[in-house]
Amino acid sequence: MTTFDQPPLPPTAPASAPALLRTEAVTKAFPGVKALDGVDFELRGGEVHVLLGENGAGKSTLIKMLAGAHRPDSGRILVDGRATRILDAQDAEKHGIATIHQEFNLVPDLTVAENIFLGRQPRKYGLIDRKRMDSDATALLARVGVDVSPNDKLRHLGVARLQMVEIAKALSVRARVLVMDEPTAVLTTGEVDRLFEIVHRLRLEGVGIIFITHKLEEVARLGDRVTVLRDGRSIAQIPAATDRDELVQLMVGRSIDQQYPRERGALHRGTAPLLRVSGLSRAGHFDGVGFEVRAGEVVGLAGLVGAGRTEVARALFGADPYDSGTVEVQGRRVQGNDVPSAMAAGIGLVPEDRKGQGLLLDASVSENLGLVTLRAATRGGFVDLAGQRRAASSIAAQLGIRAAGLDSRTRTLSGGNQQKVAIGKWLLAQSKVLILDEPTRGVDVGAKLEIYRLVNELTASGHAVLMISSDLPEVLGMSDRILVMCQGRITGEIPAEQATQDAVMALAVQGASSN
Amino acid sequence: MATDLKKTGPGRGHGGEGGRPGRGIPAEGLLPPVVRRMLFENGALAALLVLIVVMAIMSPDFLDTNNLLNVGVQAAVTAILAFGVTFVIVSAGIDLSVGSVAALSAMVLAWSATEQGMPVFFAVLFALATGTVCGLVNGMLVSYGRLPSFIATLAMLSIARGLCLVISDGTPAALPTSLEWLGKDFGDWLPVPVIVMLVMAGIAALVLNRTFPGRAMYAIGGNEEAARLSGIRVKRQKLFIYGLSGCFAAVAGIVLASRLVSAQPQAAAGYELDAIAACVIGGASLAGGKGKASGTLIGALILAVLRNGLNLLSVSAFWQQVVIGAVIALAALLDTLRRRT
Amino acid sequence: MRIQKRTTLVAAVAALSAVAATGCGSDSDSGSGDGDKAKIGMSLSTLNNPFFVEMKKGAEAEAKAHGVDLTVTDAQDDASAQANQLQNFTSQSMDVIVINPVDSKAAGPSVKAAGNADIPVIAADRAVEGAEPTATVSSNNVQGGEMAAKALAEKIGKKGEVVVLRGIAGTSASNERFEGFEKGIKKYKDIKVVAKQPAEFDRAKGLDVMTNLMQSNAGIDGVFAENDEMALGAVKALGSKAGDSVQVVGFDGTPDGLKAVKEGTITASIAQQPDELGKMSVRNAVRAADGSDVDKEIKVPVKLVNKENVADFS
Repeated sequence: MTTFDQPPLPPTAPASAPALLRTEAVTKAFPGVKALDGVDFELRGGEVHVLLGENGAGKSTLIKMLAGAHRPDSGRILVDGRATRILDAQDAEKHGIATIHQEFNLVPDLTVAENIFLGRQPRKYGLIDRKRMDSDATALLARVGVDVSPNDKLRHLGVARLQMVEIAKALSVRARVLVMDEPTAVLTTGEVDRLFEIVHRLRLEGVGIIFITHKLEEVARLGDRVTVLRDGRSIAQIPAATDRDELVQLMVGRSIDQQYPRERGALHRGTAPLLRVSGLSRAGHFDGVGFEVRAGEVVGLAGLVGAGRTEVARALFGADPYDSGTVEVQGRRVQGNDVPSAMAAGIGLVPEDRKGQGLLLDASVSENLGLVTLRAATRGGFVDLAGQRRAASSIAAQLGIRAAGLDSRTRTLSGGNQQKVAIGKWLLAQSKVLILDEPTRGVDVGAKLEIYRLVNELTASGHAVLMISSDLPEVLGMSDRILVMCQGRITGEIPAEQATQDAVMALAVQGASSN
Repeated sequence: MATDLKKTGPGRGHGGEGGRPGRGIPAEGLLPPVVRRMLFENGALAALLVLIVVMAIMSPDFLDTNNLLNVGVQAAVTAILAFGVTFVIVSAGIDLSVGSVAALSAMVLAWSATEQGMPVFFAVLFALATGTVCGLVNGMLVSYGRLPSFIATLAMLSIARGLCLVISDGTPAALPTSLEWLGKDFGDWLPVPVIVMLVMAGIAALVLNRTFPGRAMYAIGGNEEAARLSGIRVKRQKLFIYGLSGCFAAVAGIVLASRLVSAQPQAAAGYELDAIAACVIGGASLAGGKGKASGTLIGALILAVLRNGLNLLSVSAFWQQVVIGAVIALAALLDTLRRRT
Repeated sequence: MRIQKRTTLVAAVAALSAVAATGCGSDSDSGSGDGDKAKIGMSLSTLNNPFFVEMKKGAEAEAKAHGVDLTVTDAQDDASAQANQLQNFTSQSMDVIVINPVDSKAAGPSVKAAGNADIPVIAADRAVEGAEPTATVSSNNVQGGEMAAKALAEKIGKKGEVVVLRGIAGTSASNERFEGFEKGIKKYKDIKVVAKQPAEFDRAKGLDVMTNLMQSNAGIDGVFAENDEMALGAVKALGSKAGDSVQVVGFDGTPDGLKAVKEGTITASIAQQPDELGKMSVRNAVRAADGSDVDKEIKVPVKLVNKENVADFS
C-alpha cells in the first residue's frame, strides 16, 4: 500500500497538487433528457471535493461515468493527466476509482472478509487462502478504524458498519479516488463523526474523495472545494467555506428565503384531537406510547434511529400488530393490525423506505398515485380508470411532480419527485391524519421546500400531520410540538417555541446511556 | 391555495401521454408508424409474424384457413392454462399445478357425469369448482402457510395428478356425448375451442386491466409491501389469484377432454411448462409486475405454430425438441432486447 | 415455543395419518404375517397409464391364485424412485422381485444388488441392461410392428401412402415397434411412408399431430400409431374418414382401443395383453421362489385384434 503518487498532504486545500482526475466538457444524453451537458470537474489527490446539486442535476450520471457504468457522448476523462476511457467496472478499478453507492454492493450472507475480497480472494494452490484473506481484511479494517471481526456475517451488521466494510473494500483495490454517494444519509450523528474521521485520514494518505451530500452543514465541515451541478451543467467551483445560502442559491438557481417555512397559524388548540393514541405497547418494540394530534397540527416525532418511532407509526397504521393500547381517530377506535381499517379511519402512512415500501418503482406514476384509491374507484367490479387518471393528473399538477408524463416509470423520477408521488396517493385518498416517516430523506433542497409547503397546506385545511424525522433542524423548524422517543418510550414533549436541538437530544438519549 | 405549490420547472407538464422520444429504427420509412410501434412495443408479436412468414415460405400447406384454425385449436388448451398462470406470474408467483389441475377437473367431470349420473350442467360446475378449490388450496398454502409458490404448487401438481389417478383408477373415462360440441366447430367452420380461447383471453384481459383484483395483481407483483401499505389485502388477493388460475385450468381441462370426448388420467402432463413459456414469451416477467393477456395469447400461438409447422415440414422427432427450445429462447430474447434499447 | 411444539405435533399427526391412509389403500395383499407365504415385490414404472394398470391387475389375480403375498409399488416414471423401491424390497427380504423398469439401463445396478442378496429378479415388459435378471417377460414388440404393417397393408390394398405416429423419442417400445413396422412395410413396394412424426404416446398430441399431417398430406390411406392412445387421437382427427377411406392401426389393445376396433374406427390393434404380462411375471416369480427352473426369455404372445376376433379380447 505504498503506491500512492502523492506524499501525505496537509488537511487544508492542497492547491498545488496536480489533478488526479479531471473531466472536460463531458456530455451524456438519455432519451428525452440531457443528463450531463459539458461538465468540467477536477479532483486533486488528498482533497475532499463535494459534489452538490438537486436530485436530477446530474450527480449520479457523473459518478456512474467514473465507475464505468455510462460512457460520455462527448468530452474527455483524464486520469493523472492522461485521457482515458472507462468502459466498465474493471477499467475503473484499474484506474484506482472506487465508488460507495447508497445501495451497498455487499452480500449479506457472506463474512466481512469474503465481501472485501469478493471475486479477488487470495489463493493458494487454486484454493482460497482463508488465513491470508482474514489477516489482510483485519489490516484493512484497522486502517478504516472499525471494530468488526473479518468473520462476522454481514447480515448482523448495522448500516454504519456496512459502510465501513464498503470503504475497506474500496481500499483493498488500492483506490486513489473514492466516490461516496450520500454516505451520511443513513447514519446517526455519532456515526457521521466516525465516518468523517476516516475520510480525514484517507485524505491525509493522499486519496482524492468525491463526496455527495444533501446536508449543507457537512460541506464546510468536511470539504475542501465544492462543485455545484444544476440541470446537467457545472455551475460553479468554489471553496467549501462558501456561505450556505449562496450554496443553496447556486443549487436551485433561485434564492430560498426560508429553509423551514412553517406557518404556525392559529392552531385549533381547543378542538378535539383527530388522532389519539394511548398506552400502545408491543413487547420488544415500544411501551405505553400515548399522544394526541389535533387538526391543523404538525407533531414531530424525534429520537435516535432505533428508538421505536417507525415501529409506532407502523403499528398505529395497522401495518404491524400491537399487544395493548388503543388508537382512535375522531373518537372512534381503529382496529389493530389491519391497514384497510386504519385507512378507512383516515390514516395515511408515507413509509421511510420509499423504494422498498412506498412505491411500485416499475409501475407508472399514475398507477402509483391511484393505488390507495383503487378500491374506492371500483364500481360494479370495474375500476374507473379514466377517473383514476384524471385524479392522478390533477394531483400531479398540484404537487408539481416533474416527470416525462403520467405513464413514466416511477423509477425514472428523481428522489424528490418519487417522494411527492408517495405522498400524493394519500392526498387523493383524502387521509385526515398523515404520518410522514423521514419525508425528506434523500430529497434535494428544492423538493424539500415543496414538501414543507405541502405540509403547511395540509394543516391549514384541517389535516393533522405526524412527522418522524432524524433531521433535527427539520423537526424543530416544521413541528408545532415535538415528541421525543427513546428506547420505545416517549420521554418528553416540547412545544415548538421552547425546542432546541440540545433539549431534544437530551430527551433522546435519556436512559439510552447503557447503549 | 394550490398555486403556492406551483413551482416552475422545465417539463412539468403532464396530463398527456407525453410523446415518447423516437428511437432509431432502421425501417423508419418502410412501415407506417402505428405498425412500427406495434411491432417494436411487442417483441412477441414480431416473433410470431416472423415465424408465420418463415413457415409460409417453407411449407405451401401452412397458410391455409383450415390449417390456421387448426393452429388456433391446438393453441387453445395451452393458452387458457397460460392466462391463469399469467395472473399468478404478474403477482410475482408461479403456478406449476395447472396441468394436473386441468386433468383432475376433466376427470371429475367425466366421473360425475358418466359414472355418477350427475346432470351435465352440474357436472361442469362441479369440475370448475374442483379446479377452483385446487387453486384456493394453493393460495392458502402461499398466503397463510407462507410457502413459496413454487413449492406449494409443486405439491399440488403431485396431489391433483394423484387424485386424478385415484378417481379414474388409471384408465381413461368417457365424457358425456352432450359435451362433444365443445370440441367441434361452430357454424361448421369456427372451432369451439378457439372461441373459448378468445373468450377466456377477453376475460383475462378484462380482469387484468379493469378490475380491482387485476390491478392489485400488478401492485403485489411490483412491490408486495408497498401494496400492503396501500391498503390492499395481499393475502386475500393471493387466494383469489390462485383460485382464478385453478378455475382457468379447469376450463382448459374441459376443453382438452371435450376434444377427445374422453378424460385421460395422464392428460396435460407437462403443459404447465408450455403455459409458463407462453407467458414469458408474451412479455411477462417472472419477477412480477409485468404481463398481458394479449402477450400470453401470442406466446401460446407461437408454440402452436411451431409444433404445427414442424409436423408439416416432417422434421425429425429428435430435432423437433431442439428447434422448439431454440425458438422459445429466441422469442424471449427478442423481448428482452427490445426492453434494453 | 409452545406454538412451535404444537406445529410439530400437528405435522407429525398429519404425516402419520397420511401414511395410514395410503396404507389402507395400498396394494399389499398381505393377510397376517403368514410365514409360509412367498413374498413378492413388484415395482411398476408408472400407474399413470392404463397399460400398467392392466398389468398390475393381472399380477394381483395371479398372486391370489397362487396364494402369495404381492406388494406393488409405483415408481412414477422416476428411475431413482424405482432404485429406492428395489432397495427396500431387498431389505424387506422379499423372496422374489418383479421389476418393470422405468429405464432399462438405470435398473441395472439395483437388479445386480438384489442378485447379490440372492433374490431372484424378474424383468417385466422392458429389458434390464447391465445386469442379468433371472428371467425377462416381455411381448415381442418387433414382431408386433411387423404384424401391424401387414394388417395395414392388406387393408389398404397393398398400395398407397401411410404415416406413422411415433411414441416418446428414444424409448425401446417406440424403437422396436417402428423397427418391426419398417421391416414389414418394406415388403410392399407400392406403399410409401410419407411422414413419421412424434406424438409422445399421448391421445391429445395424437389428435394435434394427425390434424397437422392431414394438412400436408391430403391423400393418406393409412396410419400406424405406435400405441392405441395416439391411434384414438388420430381417429378423432380423421373423423368420418377413420376406418373408411383411411385405415388406422394401433398397438397395445387397451380397453378404449378394443372398443374402437369393435366400432370399426380402428382397423386393427396389436394386443399386448398387459394382464398376461403381469400374470406371467408373477407365475415365473412363484416358480423362482419355489426353486424351480425358469426360462431366461419368456415371450408373451402379441395378437392381432381386428373386428372379427375383438370379442375374444374384451
